[in-house]
Amino acid sequence: MQSQSCHPSAHPGSAARWCILSLLAAMPFAIPAQAQEISAYRVGKVITMDDRDSVINSAVVLVKDGKIQQVGKASQVNVPDGVQVIEMPQCWLVPGFVELHCHEAGASTDLHDYVYLTNPDLRTLESVNPGTENFKLARAGGVTTALLISGSGTNMSGLGTAVKFGDGLVEDLVVKFPASIKIAQAGNPERYWFRVGRSFMNYNLRQTLQEAKDYDQAWDDFEAGKTEEQPLFSPTFDAFRDLFSGKFIASMHTQQYQVVMMTLMLVHKQFGIKTVLDHSTFDGYKTAPLVIEGQDVITINGPRQLYFDGTQRKIFGNAARWWQGGIPKLGINTDSPVIPQEELSYQAAMACYYGWTTYEAIRGLTRIGAEALQLEDRVGSLKPGMDADFAIWSGDPIDPRSVCWMTVIDGKIVRDAREGMRRF
Amino acid sequence: MKPLRCGLIGVAVATCFAVSSRQPALAAPPEKVALTGARVIPVAGPEIDGATILIERGKITAVGADVKVPFDAMEVDCSGKVIMPGLIEPQSWRGLDIANESLPVAPFLDVGDAMDPSRLYFEDALRDGITTIHVIQGHNTVIAGMSRVVRPIGLTPDEMTLDLHTAIKMSASPRNGYDRMQQMATFRETFRELEEYIDTIAEKKYEDELEKDKKKVDVGPSEAAKRGRDKLLDADYDDAHLNLMRLKRGDFDAWIYVGAPMDVAPAVALATEQGFIDHTILLLGDETFKAIGELKKAGRPVVLPEDLFYRERDPITGEISETFIPAKVHEAGLMFALQPNPNSSMAERYLTYQAALCVRNGIPRQTALEAITLNPATMLGMGDRLGSIEPGKIANLVIYSGDPLDFGSWVEQVYIDGIMAYDRNDDPRLAEILRLEDVQRKAEQAKKEAEEAAKAKEAEQAQPKQEPAGEPGAEPSPAEGGGDSPAEGGRERRRRGDGQ
Repeated sequence: MQSQSCHPSAHPGSAARWCILSLLAAMPFAIPAQAQEISAYRVGKVITMDDRDSVINSAVVLVKDGKIQQVGKASQVNVPDGVQVIEMPQCWLVPGFVELHCHEAGASTDLHDYVYLTNPDLRTLESVNPGTENFKLARAGGVTTALLISGSGTNMSGLGTAVKFGDGLVEDLVVKFPASIKIAQAGNPERYWFRVGRSFMNYNLRQTLQEAKDYDQAWDDFEAGKTEEQPLFSPTFDAFRDLFSGKFIASMHTQQYQVVMMTLMLVHKQFGIKTVLDHSTFDGYKTAPLVIEGQDVITINGPRQLYFDGTQRKIFGNAARWWQGGIPKLGINTDSPVIPQEELSYQAAMACYYGWTTYEAIRGLTRIGAEALQLEDRVGSLKPGMDADFAIWSGDPIDPRSVCWMTVIDGKIVRDAREGMRRF
Repeated sequence: MKPLRCGLIGVAVATCFAVSSRQPALAAPPEKVALTGARVIPVAGPEIDGATILIERGKITAVGADVKVPFDAMEVDCSGKVIMPGLIEPQSWRGLDIANESLPVAPFLDVGDAMDPSRLYFEDALRDGITTIHVIQGHNTVIAGMSRVVRPIGLTPDEMTLDLHTAIKMSASPRNGYDRMQQMATFRETFRELEEYIDTIAEKKYEDELEKDKKKVDVGPSEAAKRGRDKLLDADYDDAHLNLMRLKRGDFDAWIYVGAPMDVAPAVALATEQGFIDHTILLLGDETFKAIGELKKAGRPVVLPEDLFYRERDPITGEISETFIPAKVHEAGLMFALQPNPNSSMAERYLTYQAALCVRNGIPRQTALEAITLNPATMLGMGDRLGSIEPGKIANLVIYSGDPLDFGSWVEQVYIDGIMAYDRNDDPRLAEILRLEDVQRKAEQAKKEAEEAAKAKEAEQAQPKQEPAGEPGAEPSPAEGGGDSPAEGGRERRRRGDGQ
């Protein structure tokens, strides 16, 4: 394959035309990709996001059977004979982004089912749909993994699924289920039925979680031999046993001081659930001391990187304020399709525009999401043995001028922009 | 007195402490604090001039003019100031996201689940000298949830809470869109259903206990229910019924809103019938004072409406009659509490103004002061902990620049639990006012210096070899600038200065 410059020579106008033409041409959904056993990528820079935060210039990434085999200086990596090297010597190779708040890897009509105010037994696993446009958008933006969760129309809207935006059957794409329980405190669920306020919503949420906790306790006691009678099996609460043992997270739709504070007090402190604060916008950043106190709480910020404080008449960058507050783990989300999945890096760019730092933003897009899903030994960084999920960018992915040239998932090239500048 | 420059809560006093002891700013606040030299209004007794208040571990341990300051106490000179007990807001839902849930009967709710500590309301309360707030749900309900007594500081509701499950909110006035008869019918139905529920669980309890002892049920259901009642534990009740049972048992008070004169009698009848009339506080609407006879007969403490004047226009003559509500209630001999009127953009926003209004309309000063401190404390069942400056009480204190009922006085500092929670000098919202005050202070200082300089010069001129009068101020003092013509001379300028 020939060497490729990172700067598109095509005129922007022609790119736009291309886009329209390609849409009209109704191209096949899956980009044909040859599953090679071994492939190699020679790039200008690799952001590995490994434990030592290594950044390798003039590097080669060797991929074998869908896993990273080696990452290192081009001069030090031995590329086996006969392996075709994809040459993109001026580009950056970055781990595939992990989106923690995605609603559109399924059919959008299944976004949320308004059954009850809390719906612990709904599962997004049953609505994963690789045919949606979002898969293409995600690949175009270098996003390789996402947590598919149901909407915030109800207080608790179901179990989330971690999926990859790759090619294949649903069972190949699902990397973790259950990967989270979606809980929405305040905002949208307050429109449920004839309107509920926070005292009732939190009471109701506490009741549901307590019911799940009691179920978990009953089984724990039974399994430990403390009780003789086997508890009744509950299809609703059985999945929650892993939640209380910390095997998956609560994805909290939470924003504004009172709501974030309540999330931390109720979900994290009272029930000891691993908590991820999604959105966390408006003046939610003021809870930073409580987040630090909570220790393993992860904050994922967005979409909406700007907060105007009317009482102080000042503009604050949300992510920047969280970071200044000293919280250890901060990521970024799009809430796609609210913000198109492709624009995840753009949300991070805005976070940096309003005062966050670029490298931390890349970490927030990759490693932090992987840690939240507890998939950090598979995705989120580039080390031998990890899934070969990465994207090749024309430069810093946080720079909105950069182009995502190529996206690779499990070693397969699922998108190659060189074959046509825009999209699909 | 050198003004104390301290930050908010905790760090506050610690910082003062750090100045002398060179400890890090986040050290624990001092265990003993002595506020000396102020005029103290204890509310529980006569006012004391030049008094010392000794605080130990958040509690007041001594008050008086002859209290000795222990060697290990941090002394704060408050001479020229006036110290009051922290003010108490008897009821408010302004710390909640919404005043009421849509559910008509929800005694299982807790305001803690809806409180927002970041509300400006709490910050404003502190600035206005309010140290204790009874957070309770609004009037648009039949039976609302449980209230809390909080301090206006803290990151979480639990951190703010001073007293949990203080009272249960009810309204004898109809909910929006409903009528009075339905309102009272809902009460009757709720309490009837409560009895039915208790019978059911009591009967089951009795039978379960027999079964545990492998005995056969020996009595009929109603007798079993009667016998089982004594055996019931709190844990046997579900959330929907527990708090109503606890109310009837007398664990806490009912705060009942009576929005109209006609609501008083049914409310009192309900509370009497259900046995909690001795645990009832009545919240009056604008017009409710007209049922003063009913209120007097009930003899329960009342919280007055926010607007203390009731004005009514005669539909025929157009004549306006005006009633000052506190006077009516005071004449009837009822204990009452005042509340601030946050809807007013005027001075009614301040509890001290409400009290001053009472004094102006003939209510004794002592009664007016009690209505914003000791009375609400007593109504909240916390009269032994709050509401006055006495040994044994929580050290919630407000330091005013002058008499609290004088509207020219400022809240200078607020102590909560013996820790400085507010200092006007560090209030970011007052930054502009403080800056202007500083400018004024500097100008006054400069003027004073100039006067002294001029005086000194005059004294020099008074010496034997004085110069002719037409040739004086060739070198005006730098502080005064060069605006005036030299011909006016120092004396002329000073005179004008005095007049300003």
